[in-house]
Amino acid sequence: MARLAVRRWLDQERTLAWLLVGPLVLLLLGLVAYPFGVAVQFALSDRTLAEPGRFVGLANVWNLWDNQIYRQTLGNTIVYTIGATILKLGAGLGLALVLNEQLPLKRLVRSAILLPWIVPTVLSAMAWLWLLTPNFSVLNWILVHSGLSQRGLPWLTSPPLAMFSVILVNTWRGIPFFAITLLAGLQTIPGELYEASAIDGAGTWRRFRYVTLPLLQPILLITLVLSVIWTFSDFQVVYGLTQGGPMNSTHVLATLSYQVGLASGNIGEGAAISLTMLPLLLILIVWQIRHLRRGVAG
Amino acid sequence: MSGAPTPPTSRRRFLTTTAALGGGSLLAAAGIRPRLARAQGSVKGTKLTVIAGDWYVPETNKMLDDLAVSITKDTGMEVRIERFAGEQQVAKVAAIVGSGQGGDIAVVRDFDAYLYADKLIDVTDLANEIGKTYGGWFDVAQQACVVKGRWKALMIGQAPAAWNYRTDMFRAAGVEKFPDTFDELLVAARKLHAKGTPIGMTLGHASGDGRSTNYPVLWAFGGKEFEADGKTVAINSPQTLKAVEWYTEIYKVMDPGVTAWLDPDNNQAFLAGKVSATVNVNTIYLAARAAAPTDPAKKTLIDNMDHANWPAGPAGRFGHYNINLWAGFAASKNRDGQLAFLRAWHDRSFLPKWTKTGQSYFIPPFVGFDKEDVWPDDPKLRIFRELNKVNRLAGYAGPPTSAAAEAVNKFVLVDMFAKAATGQLKPPDAVKWAEREYQQIAQKRLG
Repeated sequence: MARLAVRRWLDQERTLAWLLVGPLVLLLLGLVAYPFGVAVQFALSDRTLAEPGRFVGLANVWNLWDNQIYRQTLGNTIVYTIGATILKLGAGLGLALVLNEQLPLKRLVRSAILLPWIVPTVLSAMAWLWLLTPNFSVLNWILVHSGLSQRGLPWLTSPPLAMFSVILVNTWRGIPFFAITLLAGLQTIPGELYEASAIDGAGTWRRFRYVTLPLLQPILLITLVLSVIWTFSDFQVVYGLTQGGPMNSTHVLATLSYQVGLASGNIGEGAAISLTMLPLLLILIVWQIRHLRRGVAG
Repeated sequence: MSGAPTPPTSRRRFLTTTAALGGGSLLAAAGIRPRLARAQGSVKGTKLTVIAGDWYVPETNKMLDDLAVSITKDTGMEVRIERFAGEQQVAKVAAIVGSGQGGDIAVVRDFDAYLYADKLIDVTDLANEIGKTYGGWFDVAQQACVVKGRWKALMIGQAPAAWNYRTDMFRAAGVEKFPDTFDELLVAARKLHAKGTPIGMTLGHASGDGRSTNYPVLWAFGGKEFEADGKTVAINSPQTLKAVEWYTEIYKVMDPGVTAWLDPDNNQAFLAGKVSATVNVNTIYLAARAAAPTDPAKKTLIDNMDHANWPAGPAGRFGHYNINLWAGFAASKNRDGQLAFLRAWHDRSFLPKWTKTGQSYFIPPFVGFDKEDVWPDDPKLRIFRELNKVNRLAGYAGPPTSAAAEAVNKFVLVDMFAKAATGQLKPPDAVKWAEREYQQIAQKRLG
């Protein structure tokens, strides 16, 4: 009798749904929601590594706006995110279009493309450091020995070039994600649409503009949202290459947060620096999701 | 003393402990050092986790491992050594401070006695006892370890940064000896630059070399970050401006990559003969010396390099080094074990030998060691025994507060010099920029 009751209870769609979703919800609550809640609590306190601190409201955030290094870091983060995302989008889309064609060794090439994304970021940052290091840059060796430059370029020494260098490394690392995701999107576009547009007289550009791009838009926006979030909160590339230098010209919010929160022990302010990413990212995400929904509805 | 709970004391434990300590005191009063094993009668069967760094000279790590084994053998206390490298060590210590779990004793750094004072045990009595044994602590040890009149840590040593320079390149540029003043250093740097062998002073975000290279310049010209109260920002002064102006001049004849140098970069540049002089601990020399028997290039390097103390500026000659300290966590339940370990480390049968094995990678914090056989025999390492006498802590003229620590971690001083040297800001504006940063840090950290 009891067994029957349990079976009936389990047979209810609602119960089963909760049972199936439950573990995931618990996991998300434990691993995402709880740490996020704790981070918010820290950001609203003057907690240090040694002291539990007290509630200070938004004082940490107001103090940040008044600080030149923070303002510079925020600007750097925006430049870094926009620069790297545009480059990743352009190169990733180009690569996806190429990979979508019939190529020799197609599967091997598609797998190899993923390598920069698979290799641990710290390792790739070290490899790039070897290429760009101020003492013995391999890139500079090539530039000098090929006669393209007399002394090489100050890749990590000049502030603008250092920013370009960290963007370059982030782009190199992020292209495979764009390429493979967009390739998956390209492969869902029915070939008949291209045939029909070709019959209507559309050339390569018009086929791309009026067939590929509109149908790729949903997956393009999702890829962009994810990439913006990951780039905005990137730590490893910058820490591995420059530690925020020279003169804070490559500091991003994640590296500054580490410097203040962990290295200096000022947990409250460090958490506040991290959480100032949130409103900016939220605006972007909400805008993109609304745009995406409009597109889908349209 | 911290308010952390101590384990309940049994009658037997009380008797053995007091007997051991009492006996030790009597022996000490008679001028005889108390034996380690006698003072540790109460720790049998306990466990002690020691969070250690990965020190540069491998033999010194091995000696710590051997010490742990011998303590276990002598006392019955299981001593476990856990090693973490670089930033992992910092994170581990922070985790223990935060959670109260994960270790009983740790090698901590620089400002930690100040930052974590309430979370560390009071070792004042032990510090006084050890100080007597070794002829007294250097002032800098007291500045780093004593918080509100109580010793919260015991200094292991400082990794002294000296000038590493190529004697052959200096001679070729017409500089016969290492400059003794900052003016002479500027003149020498110009000559060396003209010969294509410039000097290099780290101006990048290098957590070790960035500090040890740049604080001594500020102090040599009479500049300081804080007044003696540790709260009043004093960076904006004519003396600081002089230091910045000197840096702006010497930067013109330095290796152009210095603003991007991280900690390994000056080592690499010097080892490859790209720069003729740089500020570093003695690891460049020790690594080259170890490789010299099988590597002719390294043999040439060690034959043609030497070390020198900082030149003197208008205000004197100063150095700034990374510091290692032993600290016991107040949350530990093995207080007797912590003290037993610290006694064993400072035992005369161990510490002088460990210090000598370290080849001055760490210079010891004891005045009395000046006369003891703890110094390397290699004449090219002779200068390092002088460096204890010129050291200052960041935050000078104040104590090593959390504000001074944050300024170090944010590279405020390094960037002040770099901004002026590279022309991003004029020297007075770079000083004002630094002053604003210091004021904001002091305001939020010290109130």
